[in-house]
Amino acid sequence: MPQFEQVSVFSSLIFWSVISFVALLFLLKKFAFPPILEILEVREKKIRDDIEGAANIKQEAEKLKVEFDLQLKTAHEKANDIVQLAHDASKKETEKALQDTQGKVRQMIKEAEHEIQVSRNKLLSEIRGYTAALTIASTERILKKTLDEKEHTRIVDETIEEVIRELEKKA
Amino acid sequence: MADKESPLHHFELHPIIDIHLGGLDLSINKAIIAMWIGMAVVYGLFMVVGKNGASMIPGKLQSMLEMSLEFIKGMVKEFIGDEGMKYFNFVGTLFFFILCCNLIGLIPGSYTITSQLVVTGTFAVIIFVMTLIIGISKHGGHFFSILVPPGVPKIMIPVMVPIEIISMLARPISLSVRLFANMTAGHTVLAVLFGLGLSAPMWIGWLPLGFTVIINGLEIAIAVIQAYIFTTLTCVYIGDVIKLH
Repeated sequence: MPQFEQVSVFSSLIFWSVISFVALLFLLKKFAFPPILEILEVREKKIRDDIEGAANIKQEAEKLKVEFDLQLKTAHEKANDIVQLAHDASKKETEKALQDTQGKVRQMIKEAEHEIQVSRNKLLSEIRGYTAALTIASTERILKKTLDEKEHTRIVDETIEEVIRELEKKA
Repeated sequence: MADKESPLHHFELHPIIDIHLGGLDLSINKAIIAMWIGMAVVYGLFMVVGKNGASMIPGKLQSMLEMSLEFIKGMVKEFIGDEGMKYFNFVGTLFFFILCCNLIGLIPGSYTITSQLVVTGTFAVIIFVMTLIIGISKHGGHFFSILVPPGVPKIMIPVMVPIEIISMLARPISLSVRLFANMTAGHTVLAVLFGLGLSAPMWIGWLPLGFTVIINGLEIAIAVIQAYIFTTLTCVYIGDVIKLH
């Protein structure tokens, strides 16, 4: 095998391989490895920091979420209270308005009934007057005789009462 | 002519630039130039990434280099421990050196310097001596307790110590022979198949030529695996002398 037979090249192979290795060791150690190792460390640190930062942010976010939930719950309760109060106030207002209206309506009905009663009495009185005059005139003319004052009044009253009863029956 | 047709012929080295220093022949040959080209490629790749500063969001090349460095870092930490980062540059350089030497040899006409036992042997011996120095400097005389595995009865110590010494001495041999043999075998198989493909008639010659393509793919994997094994074992040996047992 040439590797064992060519003894003359051994010295140059050993010499140059060792020298080249030392030179490569120097070059790689000095210029090649440091930038890569440095960036690896920086990246590792950045990733570790980012993960820690993310964990902190997550923790804060969870804390905030709990706070927000609490605030939201309080706000809901407040809103419900406000709605309830508004509802109660509105109900009271409605009831009051209804009561007022009912009172007014009752008052108006009462007044109307009073007016009707007054008008009715007035009407009845007028009718009574007209009826009496009419009856007297008619009776005088029919009977052609004069009745005394007492009899005259009684007959008139009876006639009026009769007329009123008839009117009430019709009403 | 017979030598030229030998599948081992391409392992022969001839000086390209003659250099003689004292009695030493330091001539530059094909293997050394191929090694330098491989090293230049490795260094160039790192410089392309490092020229404008490595980016926070890596590109493909930077990702590949980052992955390889992370891989070596993991290996160092696993086999040597936290103290191992002191040896990161050495282990990293060793990995890239062997990898580039292994891969550059797969280019036709190039040469794999790791197919020279004298080179792999030199590195294995350097690593072996380095582990001894690390062990002795760290543990002093206690370092030699590495020769006595834990739990061994005292009566067995005279037997175990020579076995452990042989085991320790076998480490550089196995380390160097493994890499040399794998590289040599791969290239020899490729040379044999290529020779067959060229010498056989066309109707059958395509078959061995086709196999060279498959074997070449396999050789790429072997080149990476052998670099990994050599580096891993280096870490294991350093870890052993640091942790003792």
